[in-house]
Amino acid sequence: MKPKKRIKTFDIVNYIIFIFIGLMVLVPIWKVLVDSLNAVGVYQFQLWPNRFTLDGYRTIINTKLLYQPFMNSVITTVFGTLLGLVLSTLSGYVLAQETMPGRNFFAFLLLFTMIFSGGMIPEYLVMKKLHLVNNVWILVFRHGVNVYNFVLMKNFFEGIPGSLYEAAKIDGCSPMGIFFKIVLPLSKAALASIGLMFAVAVWNDYSTVKIYIADPQQVNFQYKLRNMIMDGDTPLTEYNVSQTTLFNAGIIAAVLPFMVLYPFLQKYFVTGVNVGAVKE
Amino acid sequence: MRKNKQVITSTGVAVREKPLGLRIWNNRGYYLMFLPVFIFVIIMNYWPMLGIRYAFYDYKPVGQPDWVGLEHFSKMFSTSAFWTAFKNTLELSIVRLLITTFASVIISVFLNEMGNLMAKKTLQTVIYLPHFMSWAVVASIFSLLLSPSSTGMVNGWLKDLGFIAQEQSGIYFLADSKWWRPIFYGINIWKETGWGTIIFLATLSGINPELYEAADIDGATRMQKIRYVTFPALSNTIITVLILNLAKVMNMFEPVFVLYNNAVYDVSDVISTYVYRQTFAIALPNYGYSTAVGLFKSLVGGALVLICNWASKKTRGRGIV
Repeated sequence: MKPKKRIKTFDIVNYIIFIFIGLMVLVPIWKVLVDSLNAVGVYQFQLWPNRFTLDGYRTIINTKLLYQPFMNSVITTVFGTLLGLVLSTLSGYVLAQETMPGRNFFAFLLLFTMIFSGGMIPEYLVMKKLHLVNNVWILVFRHGVNVYNFVLMKNFFEGIPGSLYEAAKIDGCSPMGIFFKIVLPLSKAALASIGLMFAVAVWNDYSTVKIYIADPQQVNFQYKLRNMIMDGDTPLTEYNVSQTTLFNAGIIAAVLPFMVLYPFLQKYFVTGVNVGAVKE
Repeated sequence: MRKNKQVITSTGVAVREKPLGLRIWNNRGYYLMFLPVFIFVIIMNYWPMLGIRYAFYDYKPVGQPDWVGLEHFSKMFSTSAFWTAFKNTLELSIVRLLITTFASVIISVFLNEMGNLMAKKTLQTVIYLPHFMSWAVVASIFSLLLSPSSTGMVNGWLKDLGFIAQEQSGIYFLADSKWWRPIFYGINIWKETGWGTIIFLATLSGINPELYEAADIDGATRMQKIRYVTFPALSNTIITVLILNLAKVMNMFEPVFVLYNNAVYDVSDVISTYVYRQTFAIALPNYGYSTAVGLFKSLVGGALVLICNWASKKTRGRGIV
């Protein structure tokens, strides 16, 4: 009976280790959640707030200095994702056309940008010429044009059997028609997965805002939050709420959209990673 | 003889290839569809490349810039802050890559051993979670947890356990050169290890079960099976992950940018943050100089991508993208 016993110990140890790992991940998140609902700031880890309040969230909704950045985040995420999906499906579809003359040149045009870039200052000067400095729309354009995601989309489209294209061509379907009638309907999973990658990138961006935007009306929520908590740029006397409550409520507001959607979308996220690295 | 080049159609018939002009005309719809992508990529990615010339000029907002040749580069190579940033970039990215990859591999292997599918799925959901939090959020969470104030959880616990006297002030972890790097690596492990397991778990699910059955027949224990079946199966994936990420080591920016502060520049400053400060956070920015540093970063980064691409082709038969 000895081997059986050993297997049992292994399983028990394994479960204990993973409970520990799970707690390591969850404790900081739970602490933030509880503190955001607690009227007084404490250092202890609590399972439930001892003085429940929603003032932190109320302050975010009612203070222009905080909800303006939140709305900026929402709008740029929506449009950045749309632009990203349009450009990535177009480029992915065109680059998947193996018989098109110039295909290699176009592919190289995209790939070269992954090897070499102009750098921070030349990019800043170009954005300035385009009037995107101090303009929240810079988030849409900088993330919408993401060559890595374009290549991912191409990899997805190459998985569609070429005979489908051929059949549609013989039936007299135009490239645009094939794109809308065959390629897009077959690629819902790819669209979801790459769309999510664009959305997460725009929503979570902090450094673009830090570099390009100084106008407090044009910043996004991540920037506002980090500056409020780590650089202390918010005059807290204006709000009728404890500092820790507001900070933690801000953190929850910043992660809420994806935390709510995430359990439903997990498989799309995972597909994206595996297409990028394993299968091609 | 070009005109007689033959191509095989999808039906397997060899036909003479059509002339180039006709093929271009036949594909006009595709070119039209690529046009928006082309325009955006030219504007967003290629136009800034013209600005690289500032690295060789004394940049002025108005008027003609003066040619200074390699002056900015010689200034860069003789500046100790630049070398600190360069060394930190390599050290922080490579150590971070090695420890998060190592942790991901270990976690995937043991997660794979978990018999209960429900528990496994739940754990995966939990450990992927931090990946979706932005660096700004993660920095905010940990700066609150590690805060030396009365609401900082870690310092509170250290006081409760007696490591710090009650009346003493707490440790300011993020502003202490001794603590910054361990904290930085710890936060990176917290945020990215779970996500890193996806690719290893995908490989593990592809292992032929017969290998385990054969090991059973040979009387292998659970640990022996992990040692002789599971780990060898992961080796190619580990190399892939390392190569893919080595190509990006020069890009290290946001994780440092959100966590560092002027008290810990010596252990935390990387090239991108150095360029940022030289451009946007000093009184008299020298655009020419910071462009030169940026160019150096792009060139080293580009060389790394090419090397890793070559290594990738050697080891697994295809490039990195």
